[in-house]
Amino acid sequence: MIASGRRWRRIFVVVGGILAAYALLAPLTSLDAAQSANVPLLADRLWFRIATYIAMFIVMATAWNIIGGIAGYAAFGNVAFFGIGAYTTGMLVAKAKWPFLVSLPFAPLVSAAFAGLVGLPLLRLRGHYFAVASLGVGVAVGELVQNIDYGGQPLFGGASGLFLPIYSVGNRDLFFFYLMVAAAAIAIGITWWVLRSRFGYGLIAIRENEEAASVLGVNTTAYKVAAFALAAALTGLAGGIFCQWSVFINQDNAFPIEYNVQMILMALLGGTGTVFGPAAGAVLLQLLIQFLGGSLPISFEIPFVSTDARPIVAQVFLGVLLVVVVIFVPRGVIDFFGGRSRLSLSYLRRSLRETSL
Amino acid sequence: MSAPATPQLELRNVTKRFGGVAAVDGVTFEVAKGEIVGIIGPNGAGKTTLLNCISGLHRLDGGDIRWEGASIAGTAPHRIARLGIGRTFQIVRPFGSMTVRENAAIGALFGSGNIRRGPKEAFVLADQVLDLVGLKAKAGHPVSALTIPDRKRLEVARAVATRPQLLLLDEVMAGLNNVEIDEALEMVRAVHATGVTVLLIEHVMRVIVGVCRRAIVLDFGQVLAQGEPEAVLRDERVIQAYLGERYAKRLGAESRNGHGRS
Repeated sequence: MIASGRRWRRIFVVVGGILAAYALLAPLTSLDAAQSANVPLLADRLWFRIATYIAMFIVMATAWNIIGGIAGYAAFGNVAFFGIGAYTTGMLVAKAKWPFLVSLPFAPLVSAAFAGLVGLPLLRLRGHYFAVASLGVGVAVGELVQNIDYGGQPLFGGASGLFLPIYSVGNRDLFFFYLMVAAAAIAIGITWWVLRSRFGYGLIAIRENEEAASVLGVNTTAYKVAAFALAAALTGLAGGIFCQWSVFINQDNAFPIEYNVQMILMALLGGTGTVFGPAAGAVLLQLLIQFLGGSLPISFEIPFVSTDARPIVAQVFLGVLLVVVVIFVPRGVIDFFGGRSRLSLSYLRRSLRETSL
Repeated sequence: MSAPATPQLELRNVTKRFGGVAAVDGVTFEVAKGEIVGIIGPNGAGKTTLLNCISGLHRLDGGDIRWEGASIAGTAPHRIARLGIGRTFQIVRPFGSMTVRENAAIGALFGSGNIRRGPKEAFVLADQVLDLVGLKAKAGHPVSALTIPDRKRLEVARAVATRPQLLLLDEVMAGLNNVEIDEALEMVRAVHATGVTVLLIEHVMRVIVGVCRRAIVLDFGQVLAQGEPEAVLRDERVIQAYLGERYAKRLGAESRNGHGRS
């Protein structure tokens, strides 16, 4: 069994590596070249869009994992940091006329500062109370950004949103794809470091038993706020890149409430508390969302469901998936690739015993 | 044993109320460096609350706690831990997803002193501590694989790994059988032998008599008696508090007739 686990792990690493290398390097040949050589998938601009979205969700799910998975505080309002990041860079580019790449570092900074500010009171709450309060913050920030006026004018563009000048660069699709992939790499790298550091051990101790952690010398307040701010910084970075990529931001696309659930579901699906779990979950789930929503070039008819209703079906499906994942795969799909477990009926039965009373 | 000028730990009129009830009510005592002191008392006497006050989990409603002469009242738990006061919990609180070794390493990583250890050095220290408490062979086990006595050992190991100068033990022997208690006593002696002051809460009289030079009896949040364990346990008020008035009267009558235990 161990041998087969190792073999699967090797297959996973090799296949994953080839796919990642293909996805990352093939675009270098440029879209035109890909089209003339008929390289599958990459010849399509839509795939670029989806790949960039996937990278964006890798950042958000991996960031959520730091506060939700490693420190064990189920933050339900992380989309606030995405939006704050988007509006920070957006305002600097659109109103202050700063160059995009100079404005971008302010997205994680402002998001982290905001997380530190709200984190101090919020992280005193535990369990459901923290989840609900953070959801409140997530919703409130979006409303505030849309409705704050200054001198009779909406400060952040108001209901009509914020338009950014188009960023001039050789190949925009390629540029934002690589930028988002770089952000994903940073998020995964930081998680890797956290899990090996004193900081990470302290966060896990807090997750497992906060009071025990504190009497062993863990500064629980500082650690929780730091984890929250770190997650916010990474989420804000994704938002900062998104605003220039999208060119237009408003409450709907900078503070989408469904992102809150999606990033958590991705982390759960892939495996919370791990380095690569949330990323794996993000890839799987984002593909699934696009597929169910009918945005993928490869698609199929869902019986009895009209094309317009497909996004709603996708939402329903996500809800069902959340329940199934939490009950049957509590450690996420990454569990099958560590060489420890294999997907089998007995695995599902064991999980059910673990997760039900 | 001559007491140093400043006691290591000093409680002055320590009071903690929950609603209208004073769980700890004006408790005053001192602990000198290197002592093993036992705290006994019936259920609900305020023993654990007192430990929570010392380790900073409860805010005091009155009085003062001094550590090596300086007040630590109102200090956060992690700061108190770093000053050198370690503790265990009566109901063990292991970090469930970690191995035995990782649990001990958390204590070593954060613990007392100003030396910032990296995970590597912390694991070395964790291994030493696991050896001391007799968990070395199970270092790689997940916590869920441990028996109750081993979980209690782990609780002690984690606290010892913080390199405390004072160790607060909250009923580490409760629920253990006689053989296990003997082993646990050995463990406490071994920890004490490394130069750690020990303040332990116990229900098991054998433990108090076995390792403590001094015992403090709490009842209704107040110090009822303190002194040598044997003397304290013969104290009529203590017997009353523990075993009830009728039993105390009978025991008193017996001892007057010359049949009392000594």
